[in-house]
Amino acid sequence: MAGLTSLPTRLRRLKRSCAQRAPALIGIGLFCLAWQLIGSYRLAGLTWPPLSVVIGYLVDPDHHRLLTRAASTTLRAVALGYLIGAGIGLFLALAVRLFRPARAGIDTFVALIHVTPAIALAPVFMILMHRDAIPVAICALAVTYLIYVAATSGLDGAKRHHIDLFAVMGARPWQRFWLLERPTALPAIASGLKLAIPVAFMGTIVGEWFGAARGLGLLMVSGMQNFQIPMLWAAVLLTTLTSLVLYALMGLVERAVERRFA
Amino acid sequence: MPDIPQTECREAIALRAAGKAFALDDGGSVVALDGIDISIREGEFVAILGPSGCGKSTVLRLVAGLETATSGTVHIEGRAPAELAAHHRLGVAFQDHALLPWLSVSDNVALPFRVARKPVARDTIARLIALVGLSGFENARPSQLSGGMRQRASIARALALDPDVLLLDEPFGALDAVTRRHMNIELQRIWSARTLTTVLVTHSVEEALFLADRIIVMTGRPGRVLRDVAVPFARPRTPEALRTAQFHAMVDDLTRALEPQG
Repeated sequence: MAGLTSLPTRLRRLKRSCAQRAPALIGIGLFCLAWQLIGSYRLAGLTWPPLSVVIGYLVDPDHHRLLTRAASTTLRAVALGYLIGAGIGLFLALAVRLFRPARAGIDTFVALIHVTPAIALAPVFMILMHRDAIPVAICALAVTYLIYVAATSGLDGAKRHHIDLFAVMGARPWQRFWLLERPTALPAIASGLKLAIPVAFMGTIVGEWFGAARGLGLLMVSGMQNFQIPMLWAAVLLTTLTSLVLYALMGLVERAVERRFA
Repeated sequence: MPDIPQTECREAIALRAAGKAFALDDGGSVVALDGIDISIREGEFVAILGPSGCGKSTVLRLVAGLETATSGTVHIEGRAPAELAAHHRLGVAFQDHALLPWLSVSDNVALPFRVARKPVARDTIARLIALVGLSGFENARPSQLSGGMRQRASIARALALDPDVLLLDEPFGALDAVTRRHMNIELQRIWSARTLTTVLVTHSVEEALFLADRIIVMTGRPGRVLRDVAVPFARPRTPEALRTAQFHAMVDDLTRALEPQG
């Protein structure tokens, strides 16, 4: 009934939400100010540009072609790796749920892959696949682990009394899975999908360092090697902001799923 | 099945020297039930009364097929309880309603139909929801209901497939005295509308006397049957029946029986 809310009520709500966000806004403001001051006064040397210079680089129309091309390449790799990783993670979680003897083995296998640093695997990928596929592969690997863990723990999350209920109703295992375990797991899977966003970016950027033809990761490396400091920082800032926005959007999805299923 | 004129004489539930021991972590075991002999006729309403921890819920879980007896036998209609559950002929209302939080009241009540893969009888569901006094709340989620309303929804769900046997595990245990009294009157009304073999586990003497045809009193550690008392009050029982001298005398008698010996 938002349309019927009186103006004073809405103003009160606005005030309250501003008051709740004030600490966060102050924190972000202080962070930006510190960045600007450290850069302006060269407190951290020449490689720390003021925030205004980095933003200036981002908004300069001369750089738009370069930045959009790099960002769209990276985003495509992130999206592809994220979807592949989420798909494999969910598939493995379902597989060990439906075929329990495989559980211990797959758990160990997935954990092994997770503890192996992506950096260490990258050279192996370089000799195995095309260099443009490496960002997607590392991204997918990292996302797979997260989604697998979220989905398996979610599928195990059914409450004792609900399991008893399905037993006395004479439910078959697949019915228990579909009508009980699947909906029970959805909030955990949604959380996993949210947490996987920054992980996907990290995997993709690291992958791009290993010889990708374009992408934000490549901009970072070439900015570092050619002393194009504002470009390096602009690429980092753009990556961070994109990751943050997608993370926030997945947070909304997570909350909606939480409200619906928990 | 041939029609047997004296249906009351047919035995619906039979426990013969049934015992249950639980293994402990330290390798020992604790005897929860010892030599339980209970025979319940078809259409009979039996209350199992006892102090908490006397194993009365374990008796119910044996009858529901959720536990297996470590000695003796448990049969429903001459077969293993799990068989009755597999044929969707068992209705159970648990201590903690066990409604699925993501389903509406009517979808929760319809759940047994989906599990039994029978077409959902919308009119049956509407009738059951009306029977437990939840008309108008068909689309409400369990989180939007009070504790008493959730228990009533779970009783409607237990009745959905017109089961042969209904098991009630302290369905009103968590409710306050006033709501509980109200629920007992409702349950009484539901039973005047249909007859089915019912086992109610409770620690409330008044509830047992008000609802049951027969009361089995148990003692704890290990759980044994102490007394088997027929309830003499004619049906339908009104709240006025709770105020007669005979009712009070029986309450006193059974309350004394529940008190620890010595």
